[in-house]
Amino acid sequence: MAAAAPKGRRPNPRLDQIKRTWYFFRRNSLAMIGLGIIVFFMIVYVYAPFYPAPGTSLQTYTASNGQPPVQNGPFPEICTYQPGEAPPAPNCYQTPLGMPSVVGPTVGVSPAGIGPLPFGSLTLNPATTPFFNTFAGLLKGTDWSISISVGIVATGALIGVLLGVVSGYFGGIVDETIMRVTDIFLSIPGLLLVIIFLAIFGISVQSLELRILIVVAAFVIIWWPIYARIVRGQVLVTREQRYVEAARASGASSGRILRKHIIPNSVYPVFVQMSLDVGTIPLLIAAIVFIGFKVFPTNAFPEWGTMTALSVQSSVLESFITNCQTTMGSCIIPWWQFFFPGFTLFLFAISVNFMADGLRDAFDPRLRR
Amino acid sequence: MAVAATPTTPLPETGSPLPRQIVRPAGASSGQPKGDVVLDIRNLKTYFYTYDGVVRALDGISFKVRKGETLGIAGETGCGKSVTVFSVMRLIPDPPGRIVSGKILFRGANLLWGIDREAKVKPIKNTGRVKVTRRFRRIKAANERMSAIRGRGISMIFQEPSQAMNPIFPVYDQIGEVLLLHRGPELIDGLLGATPEDPGVEPAIEALASASARNAPQSEIRELAKALADALHLPSFSIRAFHLSRPTSASRNQDVRKALHKEVRGLHLSAVEKGYLRNRKALILLENDLRATYFQEMQEGELDRRGERATRNRMRLRRYSHLYFRFPGVTRRLERPLRDETLWRSVEILEGVRIANPVQIAKSYPFELSGGMLQRVMIAMALAPEPVILMADEPTTALDVTVQAQILGLMRDLKERVGTSIVLITHDLAVLAEVADRVCIMYAGEIVENAPIVRLFESPLHPYTQGLLASIPRFDRPDKRLESIPGSVPNLITPPTGCKFHPRCPFAMPICKESRPPMTDEGDEHSVACFLYHGAPMVE
Amino acid sequence: MRLWIYIVRRSLLVVPVIIGVMTITFVLISALPVSERLEATFGTNPRVPYTPTVPCSKLGIDTPGNCTNPIYKAGIDKLGLNQPVPVQWAVYMYNSLTLHWGYVGNASGLAGQIPLAKGQPVTTVLGWFLPYTLELAGLSLAIILLISIPLGNLSAVNRNRPIDQGSRVLSFSGYALPAFLLGSFVLMAAVLVIGGPSGKSPFCAHASSYFDLYGSWPAIQCWAGSTYPTWLKAGQVSSPTGFPTVDAAIHGQYWVALDTLVRMILPAFVIAYGTIAVLLRFVRNSMLEVLNLDFIRTARAKGVPERSVIKKHAGRNSLNVTLTVVGLTFAGFIAGFPIIEVVFGLNGVGRLLAYSVTLTPLDFGTIFGTTILFTIIVVAANLTVDVLYAVLDPRVRLG
Repeated sequence: MAAAAPKGRRPNPRLDQIKRTWYFFRRNSLAMIGLGIIVFFMIVYVYAPFYPAPGTSLQTYTASNGQPPVQNGPFPEICTYQPGEAPPAPNCYQTPLGMPSVVGPTVGVSPAGIGPLPFGSLTLNPATTPFFNTFAGLLKGTDWSISISVGIVATGALIGVLLGVVSGYFGGIVDETIMRVTDIFLSIPGLLLVIIFLAIFGISVQSLELRILIVVAAFVIIWWPIYARIVRGQVLVTREQRYVEAARASGASSGRILRKHIIPNSVYPVFVQMSLDVGTIPLLIAAIVFIGFKVFPTNAFPEWGTMTALSVQSSVLESFITNCQTTMGSCIIPWWQFFFPGFTLFLFAISVNFMADGLRDAFDPRLRR
Repeated sequence: MAVAATPTTPLPETGSPLPRQIVRPAGASSGQPKGDVVLDIRNLKTYFYTYDGVVRALDGISFKVRKGETLGIAGETGCGKSVTVFSVMRLIPDPPGRIVSGKILFRGANLLWGIDREAKVKPIKNTGRVKVTRRFRRIKAANERMSAIRGRGISMIFQEPSQAMNPIFPVYDQIGEVLLLHRGPELIDGLLGATPEDPGVEPAIEALASASARNAPQSEIRELAKALADALHLPSFSIRAFHLSRPTSASRNQDVRKALHKEVRGLHLSAVEKGYLRNRKALILLENDLRATYFQEMQEGELDRRGERATRNRMRLRRYSHLYFRFPGVTRRLERPLRDETLWRSVEILEGVRIANPVQIAKSYPFELSGGMLQRVMIAMALAPEPVILMADEPTTALDVTVQAQILGLMRDLKERVGTSIVLITHDLAVLAEVADRVCIMYAGEIVENAPIVRLFESPLHPYTQGLLASIPRFDRPDKRLESIPGSVPNLITPPTGCKFHPRCPFAMPICKESRPPMTDEGDEHSVACFLYHGAPMVE
Repeated sequence: MRLWIYIVRRSLLVVPVIIGVMTITFVLISALPVSERLEATFGTNPRVPYTPTVPCSKLGIDTPGNCTNPIYKAGIDKLGLNQPVPVQWAVYMYNSLTLHWGYVGNASGLAGQIPLAKGQPVTTVLGWFLPYTLELAGLSLAIILLISIPLGNLSAVNRNRPIDQGSRVLSFSGYALPAFLLGSFVLMAAVLVIGGPSGKSPFCAHASSYFDLYGSWPAIQCWAGSTYPTWLKAGQVSSPTGFPTVDAAIHGQYWVALDTLVRMILPAFVIAYGTIAVLLRFVRNSMLEVLNLDFIRTARAKGVPERSVIKKHAGRNSLNVTLTVVGLTFAGFIAGFPIIEVVFGLNGVGRLLAYSVTLTPLDFGTIFGTTILFTIIVVAANLTVDVLYAVLDPRVRLG
């Protein structure tokens, strides 16, 4: 494959390595699918500030006569009729005109029979929080979920890598103490620590920004030890390599060695782990919300995890126990409320996973033959 | 595989005893080769399919190995020496490597039978690359066929002894594995001896114990141990008894009588267990017969598809029939005596490779032993099943010079005693001078010269060989410049056209660039692949 | 002999971790306002009218019956809250190490949901509910090991072939599915399967098949005489051992024992699914690494049949790495318990924790007690794994 380099260009080994990695990545079809989906998510994410926040006047659903929709048990009265026709029942729930329907109406079962359903979402207390459109919530949720995940992962990785490098390179008592600290944090089941942290510090805070900051801080606290461990392991291996010895013998200072030799060679697993974690964190947030802990100040918050968890809780579990015990057949389970956010979470996490796995295999020297 | 009924040979005064299984009957070949050809390699090609292209590691090599002969394969790093022996053993990792074509005739049977049907190679249009589609089921079947031959027909020792053994099992376990696989009936024989209640056993134990207690000379203890073994009708027991009662074997010294009693009692098996063991032995013999038949069929021509299926079915039968023989609850009880038996057999074998304290070594783990010791253990493991050919892949490269000398001496010794053919890979010509009868010089995946050792050193024909010999520093000519061969080893993905050595050859001619020189016979069993010589081409 | 030394040395490493965890909880508990701290420690909030479940004598006050404001002061003295921080830390450490972890609050949300626990010492309550979690964890672990190790080995041996692709899908989907979603779906699906569309239970006289799967014990209508048996306190905690299957068997109710096991199967699978996702990859990768090592080649060269090479030589060696990973993922494994126990309504410490953090007013005594307990479990598991590792790998204990 010795392609003739264009004249006058110096061969760049780093570029070649990147090209080679890309070749191996490309051969992995699952990884490419994951990459494609993530690219799609990124495109949606880029336009996030432009999406209308769910709950604005455009998406606030009112019934056809301008009143708030009537509840049918825990569900709003759903009616399906064409705009311009008379509604079959007063105050029933209908998609407002002019709403951009990129996806189009979904088809489902309702008391009125099979027909187009709105993309609506339940709230636990419709008197105080308006309904909002699941689809709009998903779009806006891209913003929240991805930003929070990336923020947590980036901060955690930064702290973890720093501490890991210091610990691995300098060794001795510094290493011991940092390792003990990571031991402690890794022994406490992470989710518990986050929950407790939030329970103590976050429960009374009402401001959205501050609350999110506290959530991020809680996650960062439990997340950095993993990176420290990974990096330390790599640094321990890299530090013993001959080229480090050679660099030191030729007089390079510790800082230079760290910068040019050790860190670039130790960070590959960190990239893999970072991509994995970006996919996992929305799932954890969903889990915390599900337990009952209010991560965000309102319930109708457009974030994937919140939407999934609260919908599952309210529409699946509770309704199961309380409302549909005897008359299962006539329950409407608004499956779209938890399915789409849940599926988005799933899709995001799994495509990130494919990508990270592909990255890992592409970096693996044994497989690059 | 006759069950040994002969007693142990008399143990010499000094030096180690010759374990029974390594001694061959008198008249075995030793040092005088020119027996039959046991290994015949014809036009072997092994390629590696990588991201950067197809690496032609072996580009059509041919040579023969005779019975009792030591063949050396020499060359620089990267010329394909190791790939050769791995190809013969079919240990090439299948992605990315493949044996592409050729014949490997081991005692007449083609080990590479069916190789062309194991994978399809198609070039991809518009790129230099190829796509290889492998048929894994066929490859697996081929592997299974080879595992019948590996170990007992052809065995191998490797370059880094410290990495070559499984770190979690002790040494006797690993040697024992080889014994159980290939020498099972003898192992079981060691257990099916007399019961300890037979007359003559007690007094023998007494005599041995008292001899040990009064620190009698080693020869006497050996005699008494042999007597005890005779009383038990177990020739192999003598070594066990000897080690137990040797004054220098540490803690046993106190209670030799008790220890002997315990050992002897451990041999006592119930009738049921004996029946099971006899069935195991019959099964192993049956399996050996099946393999021999398979060899036969291979030898009589290529196996056809029916034959292959029949062999597969037979192997499947073998795999399941041991369940038929299994007595419930007996297997676990048997593991103990068989395990002890493998321990003592391993001790015997380790003595055969001149290890001083075999009991301690046998019980230790590989990471506790030094490189030289491990290499001896590897040699012991490789020779335990009495293979026809021993492949040694740079066995001494990782060891110091003194240990190297010991290992080479050992190999030479064993060669004379056992009569195994040895294929020795090395880059050090001095090593070859010590042990080899005949040498092949390899360069860039081809054999360039093949000659008896003395002729090679006296009159090397190929320019590469001449360059190699000239580059060895010579003590007796201190004024001469240190020569080297200009240039460097060629890229095996894009090798030079024609003769691969021509860019570096001082005698290159135009024809060397165009076509590959055939191996020509220059007389005195000396063949060379070079256009400078005009002997008769060797018949492939 | 060497093994014992190794075990002792390894056990010593546990100490700083435990002390560290207790320090962290100390830091967190110090951030609480005083009244909540008192409630966590003594089970009562001095702002609330006091009905003594904790005798005043425990507070060092002799006034029987009526002790409100003095509690505040006495509590502060007892906890040393008016002393400098290191003294507080020492007091807290002493209390924690002697298992004085406080009391469940009288008026906390947890006590409202589980009246059985009202006013009890936290350790007692944990002792009631821990065996259930242990049983669930044991079942889950068994499922995890039985699936991930063979499947991982198979994937490694048949790299990139259908089995490998399939296990890759399994592991990725397990990773990406949040446990509560999977749990809810599985529960719903099982309810519909068992009860049919009408939701009636085929096993018992009560109405819904939902309660065939939800909760740790059968509903009250299913017991003889529609009351809980004497050995089952308030329908939740069984005696004498606390392990539901064992206790039911002890009392001769074998069907009930079977029933408790069946109720645990679904949650165990859901928990296992997440951990299998991670472990499967690791087993596969470790096996791949081992298969590339030199001694595998030696074993093949000796003529060992391929399946023995994989089972005996490669398998035992890759088990070591697998064990280590089991230890590392244990913390994540434990963290999944609160969610699943809430979804399936099981009487474990996870549900205790979930209630204590979500039902206002929060019950901090239980929160911190459960955290320390979970950490102890994780640490114990890691210790066991390391010891097993030393048993399996002679290099560790002799080298």
